[in-house]
Parts: sequence; structure tokens; C-alpha cells
Amino acid sequence: MDLSLLNSPVMYIFFMIRAYRAGKAIGMDVSKMRRTIISSATFTVLPSVGILLGVIALSGSLGTPLPWLRLSVIGALHYETQVAEGAAEAIGLSGLHLSEMTPEAFTTIALIMSFCIMWGMILSIILTKTYLKKLKKKPKNIENEESANVEGEVKAEPKKNGGFGNLAMTAMFVGLVSAYIGSYVGGFVSTGGLFTFKGSWLSIAVATIAALVMALFIWLSEKKKATWVESFSIAGSMIVAMGLSILLNTIVG
Amino acid sequence: MTDIEKNQVFEKYNKGTHVYGKIAAGITLLLLLSAPFVMGLHLGAMPSLPAFGKAFIAVGIIWFASSIVEYLVYTPMLGAGGTYLAFITGNLINMKIPCAVNARDTVGTKTGTPENEIISTLSIATSSLVTIVVLALGVILLIPLQPILQSPVLQPAFDNVVPALFGAMAYKYFRGNMKIAAIPLVTMSILFIFVPSLISSTSFMIMPAGAMAIGIAYFFYKKGKAN
Repeated sequence: MDLSLLNSPVMYIFFMIRAYRAGKAIGMDVSKMRRTIISSATFTVLPSVGILLGVIALSGSLGTPLPWLRLSVIGALHYETQVAEGAAEAIGLSGLHLSEMTPEAFTTIALIMSFCIMWGMILSIILTKTYLKKLKKKPKNIENEESANVEGEVKAEPKKNGGFGNLAMTAMFVGLVSAYIGSYVGGFVSTGGLFTFKGSWLSIAVATIAALVMALFIWLSEKKKATWVESFSIAGSMIVAMGLSILLNTIVG
Repeated sequence: MTDIEKNQVFEKYNKGTHVYGKIAAGITLLLLLSAPFVMGLHLGAMPSLPAFGKAFIAVGIIWFASSIVEYLVYTPMLGAGGTYLAFITGNLINMKIPCAVNARDTVGTKTGTPENEIISTLSIATSSLVTIVVLALGVILLIPLQPILQSPVLQPAFDNVVPALFGAMAYKYFRGNMKIAAIPLVTMSILFIFVPSLISSTSFMIMPAGAMAIGIAYFFYKKGKAN
């Protein structure tokens, strides 16, 4: 029984077609839906290569099929790597080393990797309907005052055009990004001892370069009216920053 | 089409999404948990339950809490269809969430609207399909590609895929929202500087950072309305 069969393209195509048809039925602009598909596809290619590298990285100790399955079904590289390592240690291995792997260790690692990640899926089964209903009720009172236009022509600046529900989501994302950027700063300043500045500055440099390239993309899109670059802005910023990280790493030695 | 008709069509679609989403997630869950035992049958070695318990206490509990946080935070961003698909396919923070948010911003829909629900589902379904294709092609090409991809020269690039993502997202979200971003950014940086051990649990810090940003946003929102 192969999990990748269930996690097969059929399910996604089914959900895609349903969404597309429903969008058309409620009068959404077809070109917008097409743009969504194109921008999501281009956006995904680069991180997918990163995931593929995760499969390759883990295949050294767990073989190819398990990392492939795990990273296709609610997987995430940082999770898999950490849990597989922790599981291997709990079984009594010195770490994720192929030389120490036994069939029992392998299946136990597989079970732990599968079990520890399932909560989001369980919650989505039992809670999603109720949770979304409750959320919908809350912001409505605030948003009704401003959402005369719900046809998607609203710009993505919630501060100007949306109610607090939209702004709260933007703020949540601001907080999330802040946590990660903060962790890069903390890693550089205090890894190996408080204020030793011995940590890697590469993460900060890469994030800064990606931000600068993103600024360039936004400038091109807004000032030069090259709106097509929007679909490539994040992936483009990432690839430039990742490419330059090779150069920076050489300089750092 | 009147607004009432539009709502009826969307409500019907939404109901179906919950039914199909639950079925898909339920079957996936069943297969996910049975796969290690099937492997055990094949290999003639079942998972060790004592080791499983030990490992769950060591690493599993953290992910249990993190999953709840992720679910509560991301579901409103994703909508119903997006939530079911994203929690089946994973890679939320490094791919699905930015992908859905990017799609939302590209076409300009608002959170909580039917349009956003459709866009989010289209975005995550596309993203999942592309990932499957890239992974399948990658695995097929794995042997000839391995020396190039694993060459030490390229490693810094792939080690930095997450900082590259957050750098790009930072510009996008901090721009025009610096009033909201300043305090969480400074607070988080100081916290990680003084407690570097927290760096390995950055996903835990998303909640306080997010709560702080939402609180500040609410303050400015109220202030803006008052003026």
C-alpha cells in the first residue's frame, strides 16, 4: 500500500476543478483564477526543489521511499529531520546513521515520524467547519462597514481597504516573519555564548538580499507597471539570494 | 447573478468541500498510520512500542503543541478547502502558506470572502500538484542528479532556502506595516539573543510574536478609527 497513491494528483485535480467551477459559478474573473494557478505553480517549483533536497539528505540514512512519502504527506523537512534524529536516539542509535539501522529501528522511526505529525490533520477533520464558522461571525461586524466591494478588486493593503480581520491576518504574518528574522539575529549574536557574535551571519545576509531583490520586484511591478513579475517575485528573490549565498559562503570560507 | 444566488452556490460548494475534505484527510490519516506497520510486516520487524513512547515524550509533545498552534493560526488564512489540502500535504510554513498568501495578494482577494476561499484552494491544490511532480521527477532522476545537488558548492544555497523565503516575505509584509512590525521584530531579536536555546523552537515563538503584532495592529486600528 503506497501512500503516494492516495496523495495522488487525482485528489488535487478534483479539488482544483471543484474550486474553479465554483469560482466561475459565483462570477469570479477567470483570468484571476488562471493567474493564481500560474503564480502558485511558479512559486512552488523552487521550494519543491528544496524539499527534494530534503529527500536526498534523508535518503542517506532512511532510504528514498520513506523520506519521499513523509515529505509528501504533511511533511516538512525541518520536522522530519528533527523527529527522525530524535526517534533514532530514543531507540538507542547514536543518531541517524545507516550503519546502525535495524529493521525494527526503521519501522519505529517511520511510526514516530507519522504519528507526531498527524495532529493538524485530526484537527482539520474535527474542527475546521466549526472553527471557520466562528471566525466568520467575528470579523463580520467590523468588516461590513467597509466591505462594500467584495468582488476581489480590493487591493491587498488591508490597512487601507479591509477591516480588522484582514489586518489581523497581515499582523499575524508580520509576527511570524519577525520570529524567524529574530531567530537569525539571535543565532548570529549568541550561538556559542551570549554576545560572542560567532554564529553564522549567512542567514541574515541571505534574508537581507532576498528582501532587497523583493523590493526591486515590487518596484518593477508598481512603478514600471511590469505586473507579470509578481508571479516570480518570491521565487526570484529566493533564487538570487540562495545563489549569492554560495558566493558569500566562499568569501566567509 | 444576485448576491443571494451567489451565496447559495458558494454555500453548496463549501458544504461539499467539508465532506470531501474530511473523507480525504480521514483516509490519508489511516494510511499514514498504517504505513509503518505495513513496512513492519514486509520487513518482519514491527515498530518497538516502548521506544515509540520514549521518542514521543522527547520530540512528539513539542510537535503536538506546534500542530495545534499551526492549525489555529493557518486555518483562517487558508479557508476550508485550503486547510484540508494543506494539512494533508504539509510544508505549510515554507510553502503552502506563503503560496496561498502570495496568490491572495496577486489577485487581491480579502480573507474570509468566497473569492479568497476559491483562490486559496486553487493555489494549494496547484502547489501540491507541482510538488508531487517535482518530487517524482526528482526521485526518478535522483541517481544522476545526486552528485550535482549534493555537491558541497551548492549546499549553502539549499541550506538557506528558509532565510531566503523569510527575507522576501519580510520586505513584502513589513513594508507599509513597520509600525506593527517594529516591536515584535525587536522583541524577538532580543529574546533570541538572550535565550539562544529558543532558536530550535522558533515555531513556538510564532504565537507570542503573532499575538503581539495583532495587539499592536488592533491598537492602531482603533486609533485610526478614532481619528
